[in-house]
Amino acid sequence: MAEFPALTEEEFQRLCDFLYRRTGMVFTETKRYYVERRIVERMIATGAGSFQSYFARLRTDVQQEIELFINAFTVNETYFYREDHQLKCLTTDLLAERVRANKAHKGIRIWCAPCSTGEEPFSVAIWLLENWPLVDQYEIEILGSDIDTEALQACRQGIFGKRALMRLSPALIEKYFESLGNDRWRILDELRGSVEFSRVNIVEPAETRPNGRFDVIFCRNVLIYFDDASRRVAAENLFENLLPGGFICLGHTESMSRISPLFDVRRFADAIVYQRPLGESA
Amino acid sequence: MAGPKTVLVIDDASLVRLYYRSTLEAAGFRVEEALNGLEALEKLPGLAADLLIVDVNMPQMDGFSFLRTLRQAERSIAAVPALVTSTESREADFAAARTAGANHYLVKPVSREALVTFARLLCGLPR
Repeated sequence: MAEFPALTEEEFQRLCDFLYRRTGMVFTETKRYYVERRIVERMIATGAGSFQSYFARLRTDVQQEIELFINAFTVNETYFYREDHQLKCLTTDLLAERVRANKAHKGIRIWCAPCSTGEEPFSVAIWLLENWPLVDQYEIEILGSDIDTEALQACRQGIFGKRALMRLSPALIEKYFESLGNDRWRILDELRGSVEFSRVNIVEPAETRPNGRFDVIFCRNVLIYFDDASRRVAAENLFENLLPGGFICLGHTESMSRISPLFDVRRFADAIVYQRPLGESA
Repeated sequence: MAGPKTVLVIDDASLVRLYYRSTLEAAGFRVEEALNGLEALEKLPGLAADLLIVDVNMPQMDGFSFLRTLRQAERSIAAVPALVTSTESREADFAAARTAGANHYLVKPVSREALVTFARLLCGLPR
């Protein structure tokens, strides 16, 4: 890889400010290596000879550089059945409550935001097939959204490597994937057809609102990349995307209580989940 | 020895098709799928299906319209047994299914055990 001079303090700050305004993600000097590595990659890819020329290209969005720049900074580290105690909670407690609260309605809407390369929404679909006895009774709509357009392309392809499947039993892999050889598997067409994917930035209300309201939202391991202000904006956006009585599941290191007072804390046997209070007008 | 019995699952929900298909394949059936009644009518002549599993509410052609059309077809497919699955559970719904040509009716949710039991029964297999 070609050598580029390290970013000055001011350049580093300008870049981090730009990223923050666009995504809500916060990077500080402690992440300098992570940031510089990605900038160098983008400079090589675009043929920019200096930080100044790259930044000019980025700001004017030459050939969708903003999208490619954001894609380079997202973390797509996930696997099937990650934090499956929440999936257990989904089928033992959350959906049971949603069904009771909404007797007349035959639909259940679940949103994974962010969805990264698809492991999470597809995990929800597989978990429901395996563990929810009402799976054929309810019209189940699963939406996966992410800011990273390359990750969304991967979702639509539905091809996964060994690491992504490490938590699934051989029986489940056999049942829901077809082997492509070389430790790669494609998820079955029916599963691909059961999840919709869309690009959404969760700190932008104009992008979250059109998705409508959900019974359950999984928003795991993204708020840790935000500062307090962006976290609050994201939480308030997602609150608007919940039906009254709807639930939101965060990553195990994240707590909504420190972010927003809008939600009720619900402690179930398998997980702590946050709920939009019932009794509000829909 | 006869080969496996062939079931055509007709349902617009892909998760439901997969749920029925994986259940029936695990019980030794061969399973094909159609998204609605129209697609089922297109597929049936080439299938030699032993059983149809038919959802009621589907776009383009619902389950009852499909069964009425099928039962009037002048081909061998007209007599394939049909198991209707639906969330509707009133007596009037059962009667409408019978009139349209259903052989049996299961109210959703259908358990894996019930699905296999009735598929075997309607295919003439021992329990």
